[in-house]
Amino acid sequence: MGMDGEPDSSEEVTSDVSESFETQLPPSDILEIEPVYEALGHPRRRYLCYTLFEGAEWSLSDLATKVAAWENDVPEHAVSEDQHEDVYVSLYHAHVPKLVDEGVITFDEATETITAGEHAEQVLIALEGMGASPDSNQETHARGEMDE
Amino acid sequence: MSKRTDDGIVDADDQASGADTHWPQVAQRHYEPDEQGGLTTTIVSAIAEAEGVSPSEVKSPPLYDSVDVPAIEEAFFGPGASGGSRQGVGTVEFRYTDYLVKVRSDGWTQVYEPTEPDLR
Repeated sequence: MGMDGEPDSSEEVTSDVSESFETQLPPSDILEIEPVYEALGHPRRRYLCYTLFEGAEWSLSDLATKVAAWENDVPEHAVSEDQHEDVYVSLYHAHVPKLVDEGVITFDEATETITAGEHAEQVLIALEGMGASPDSNQETHARGEMDE
Repeated sequence: MSKRTDDGIVDADDQASGADTHWPQVAQRHYEPDEQGGLTTTIVSAIAEAEGVSPSEVKSPPLYDSVDVPAIEEAFFGPGASGGSRQGVGTVEFRYTDYLVKVRSDGWTQVYEPTEPDLR
């Protein structure tokens, strides 16, 4: 009740982009702009967020395969063990905990499952807004798959 | 003071933190910014060697609980203001479980394990 009139305004901002995710993502909470930039400030965190367009739940290992395929511009079956391990280790030790901190995803340690969090929707809307200027082949690659 | 060998590796015995605890070096790895594999992989590989496991078996807690490794990677090895590599010299030290980890701007990551001198 301390935020009179504020919470409802987020619904008006909602574009048709988000409508397709409404069914699979948890209800969004208010998110300051700073955590959005923090979440998207590293390529691997952006790629991880792109995968949330495809599904709201991922195993960490599958996610590592997908991100490694994008980074190295190879099909998923051609990702080497070293490439997979490099991405897996950095997701586990750095990027996943940071996105959990920002409320963009949740992470089940026991099953190593990543699920979209309460702030996922705002981050995906921001990614959509950045679509006009993808800054690398990988970004184009990642976006291409998301449109499929 | 650190003693360097010809290939730039710092000797293990330049350690002193804690009055009674000795910190022998148990593993080290070198990070190459231009090669496949990020700084997180370098650090986790060194810790994995110290623990005698594979890098993907180093779990709980994540390094993120100690330091933000991609931020260190950017600070030491990211593109400089002029587009070249950074010239800054420094070391980040942190504790990870029982280990002391040092990440140096020359690319060397070293892992130290505490030993109690009285217990040998």
